[in-house]
Amino acid sequence: MRKRDSLFRSVILILLMGLVPFISISQDSDLRPVTNKYVIKNATIVQAPGKIIKNGTVLIENGIIKAVGSSVAIPADAWVVNADSMFVYAGFISGLSNIGVEKPKDKDRKDDRKLTGTPSYERAGITPGNTVRDMLKPSDKSVADFRKLGFTASHSVPHTGMLPGTGSIVLLGGSNGDNMVIKDQISMYSQLSGADGVYPNTVIGVMAKYRDLYRKANQARGYQSKYNSNSNGMERPTPDATIEALYPVVSKQLTVAFKAESVKDVMRVISLQRDLGFKMMLGEVKQGWDAIPAIKGTGAPVFLSLDLPEWKEEEKKEAKEGDDEEKEEKEPTAAELEKKALEARKMEMIKNYYTQAGKFSSNGVKFGFSTMEVKSKDFKTNLLKVIENGLSEDKALAALTTEPASILGVSSLMGTVEAGKMANLIISDTAYFSKDANVRYVFVDGMKYDYEVKKKKKKKSSGESGEEAVDAAGVWNYTTETPQGNGSGVITIKGTPGDYSGTITVSFNGSTNDIQDVEVDGTNVAFSFKLNMGEEINVDITMDIDGDSFEGTLSVAAFGSFPMEGSRDPK
Amino acid sequence: MKKINIIIALLLTVTFVMAQEKGSVLIKNGTVLTVTNGTLENTDVLIRDGKISKIGTGLSAPSGAKTIDANGMYVMPGIIDAHSHLALDAVNEATNPVTAEVWVGDALNPLDVGIYQALAGGVTSAHSMHGSANAIGGQCETVKFRYGEIDPDKMRMAGAPRTIKFALGENPTRVHGSGNGILPRTRMGVEHVIRSSFQQAKEYMQAMDKYNAGKGKKGFKGKAPAYDLRMETLADILRGDIIIHCHSYRADEIYMLMKVCEDFGIKRLVFQHVNEGFKVAPELAKWGAGASIFADWWAYKFEVYYSTAYNAAILTKNGVTTSINSDSGELIRHLYHEAAKSQRYGGLTDDEALSLITINPAKQLGIASRVGSLEEGKEGDVAIFKNHPLSIYGVPMMTIVDGIVRFDRENDADDMRIYPDPEEKIDVTHWQAEDHDRCMQNTEFLFHE
Repeated sequence: MRKRDSLFRSVILILLMGLVPFISISQDSDLRPVTNKYVIKNATIVQAPGKIIKNGTVLIENGIIKAVGSSVAIPADAWVVNADSMFVYAGFISGLSNIGVEKPKDKDRKDDRKLTGTPSYERAGITPGNTVRDMLKPSDKSVADFRKLGFTASHSVPHTGMLPGTGSIVLLGGSNGDNMVIKDQISMYSQLSGADGVYPNTVIGVMAKYRDLYRKANQARGYQSKYNSNSNGMERPTPDATIEALYPVVSKQLTVAFKAESVKDVMRVISLQRDLGFKMMLGEVKQGWDAIPAIKGTGAPVFLSLDLPEWKEEEKKEAKEGDDEEKEEKEPTAAELEKKALEARKMEMIKNYYTQAGKFSSNGVKFGFSTMEVKSKDFKTNLLKVIENGLSEDKALAALTTEPASILGVSSLMGTVEAGKMANLIISDTAYFSKDANVRYVFVDGMKYDYEVKKKKKKKSSGESGEEAVDAAGVWNYTTETPQGNGSGVITIKGTPGDYSGTITVSFNGSTNDIQDVEVDGTNVAFSFKLNMGEEINVDITMDIDGDSFEGTLSVAAFGSFPMEGSRDPK
Repeated sequence: MKKINIIIALLLTVTFVMAQEKGSVLIKNGTVLTVTNGTLENTDVLIRDGKISKIGTGLSAPSGAKTIDANGMYVMPGIIDAHSHLALDAVNEATNPVTAEVWVGDALNPLDVGIYQALAGGVTSAHSMHGSANAIGGQCETVKFRYGEIDPDKMRMAGAPRTIKFALGENPTRVHGSGNGILPRTRMGVEHVIRSSFQQAKEYMQAMDKYNAGKGKKGFKGKAPAYDLRMETLADILRGDIIIHCHSYRADEIYMLMKVCEDFGIKRLVFQHVNEGFKVAPELAKWGAGASIFADWWAYKFEVYYSTAYNAAILTKNGVTTSINSDSGELIRHLYHEAAKSQRYGGLTDDEALSLITINPAKQLGIASRVGSLEEGKEGDVAIFKNHPLSIYGVPMMTIVDGIVRFDRENDADDMRIYPDPEEKIDVTHWQAEDHDRCMQNTEFLFHE
């Protein structure tokens, strides 16, 4: 299977080569598949957590699971997948994400300084009337990235602001945005993010504004309904589309999906909920272990983040112990002791992140997983580590299938492999929750996506990490967030791995600078450059390259390091 | 290797007193500085379920309660800081000249290790305040330093009166006048912002009251003014439900705000910083306004040049309820030294000097019936010192909040962080000193042209 970088690139290739050998491409284009009947034969079918059929067969027709069992008649016109030794699961559901939603570009905002206290609703990040439905793009990279992992549906929400808009249940596939939508208006997405430079700028502003808007909406809705029943002699209600968009929230018909990563945010959101009484689900919770009693008290379901801090203790420890054996045992210095103690506390903290899901499970909190921040390449590793740390495989599967389906009210459509449900399936070559498992097929709404197992690359003698050095050459557009505002520019890298040179442009002062000391280690590229900001300062850049995109950091000694990301221009 | 592991194991057994907010403890044979009832030698203080149940001699501890031998030690009420920005994730919502609706209680950070550092200075309570970027800033929160708790609600001093931050002078005029080109650019402008806000709130309150009075009547067709949390909050000030704590330096502006409050019938007012308070001390006393000051810190901007270290003494001798505050994560650790300076300069008595950091700030925050002195029935907030707290040799040994020992110098682990950063780099020596003055935090972006 070829890498599907982008439809655009593929189309160009097809035109150039004059042939159409890519089965996969038909799936992203308007070409209809040859058949809409599929049979998955002789597989281990995990119908639901703990419910397994050995040597079973699944029949799919027109996007629906027609039959599941050990004796299913196979229609002659079906495409048969011989799934001997393979495993079939219900497609995963992301409890909260931005899958399929393009990130809006950072606008170069030249605000009227006189209006920082009275911005428009839109500038203030208050757009409850927006719906994610209007923002969906099946071609967004996240769709293919998460589908490859086994996700077939997602509760997707818009990106920015304190009230970015309503979320929908969407499929990870489809010919257009509308086509992706299974159920609209699932939630009112909310987050405690300030509006960057205008009111509400800080968390205290956002919390106050939330209370203000909620009570405004409550009051206005009450008056409107009185007016509707008998308007005679009554002043006309003041129309306000933004406030009106909150009516379903104050009438508790629409659940608020609140993003709350840190324990502090979780507690803040809970206190807001207690004040106002809206229906709630919590999303992208990273630090919730100490808040379990408080969360339980609200009865709100939770989506736990799988974006976890890096756990790299083991190898390090081994290496160190090896060193110690060689050396004579010395009394540790005070500094060494302190460092060791700090490392131990850090490790203890990291473990909390990995044992969190197990704790939620044993405390009986209803939860699924959200994938807002986790990088698709880390999903599987993190999930397995969470299972290692106290979450059973069945519960993990439930948190990816039946639980989100039930929380989001789509259990009749998805979450299990049962006749009558949507044909959203994962087929892996062995049990999914093992390290070596590879996803071979994913069905989304009866549409088949197949994935070839990548052959393991041979270790290169030069690369110490064992990973093949990435080809970083090209023109990279980057953006970075610093306290001085958002910066952007272009990194141009020329040459071959081990012999790179190039330039970087910086929007802060419009300069172009030569890059130096380029180092490549696996998918990581690091370099530095000198930036003239009155005096010359040294800037270090690291890029973690994943295909044609990267995430990295920009660090300036004494100022700290800031996140950056970017993508490579097509060659 | 084994040795290291044992030491690490010891370091890791940092025992937080979690999920328990009230305790019982008997402090034996100390020199008890009650502040309000003089000094009692060789006296016991018994705290039962978080409250001081008995002060006397020969008391015995109830079963299960810890006994502390305070022989040769000084036992004083927990220190109260009337002006702090500790344990807050946001200090200024600086985008508008009036942001009465915001509340720093929404941004409490119980994980701030600065709380523990303040406990190590004998402090048990603080007034965590909004900053001074706007003429009418946000509401503040009176907190108790129950370090070890995760839930911000457990930091709050439940039942303490609501307070709000106002600001006069250079800060609000710099942010909104010079920074944004809007009102207020001058001291006159600040007065105007405050007056017009009160006036709007008054009209809002009257319209709301009228609506509420009528809405139950048959055939009522009226429409309420559109709900506005800002106006609701300002109306609560007019109703007397919120104490104003106003950042101020110059005598003229201090006098101005007293006049404005008079015009709107507002009676609960405390001035913060008040460096020129000594010039209007009789007026402050007559009005009944409090003054919370620095002992000897000034000249950090133009309006703070005309100052004196005699300020605390002059205000006190004129009958103004005066406190000495920190406004800083560093100063808060030695407020007892700051109070002692009033003796060096103004010759205040021990009780007068100690009042500056105990009962007087409690009065200014409206919590004097609960804390601020050692009296039976009050809350069990206590600081135990080796040597007199007003002596340069005074060392805080133990700090007790609601009968629970939250700091103990004899049992003071190296790493008292509650949530270490799972991504921190440990090989770098890294000390991020807190800014001395967080009054203007979160406003930096407003100064860019």
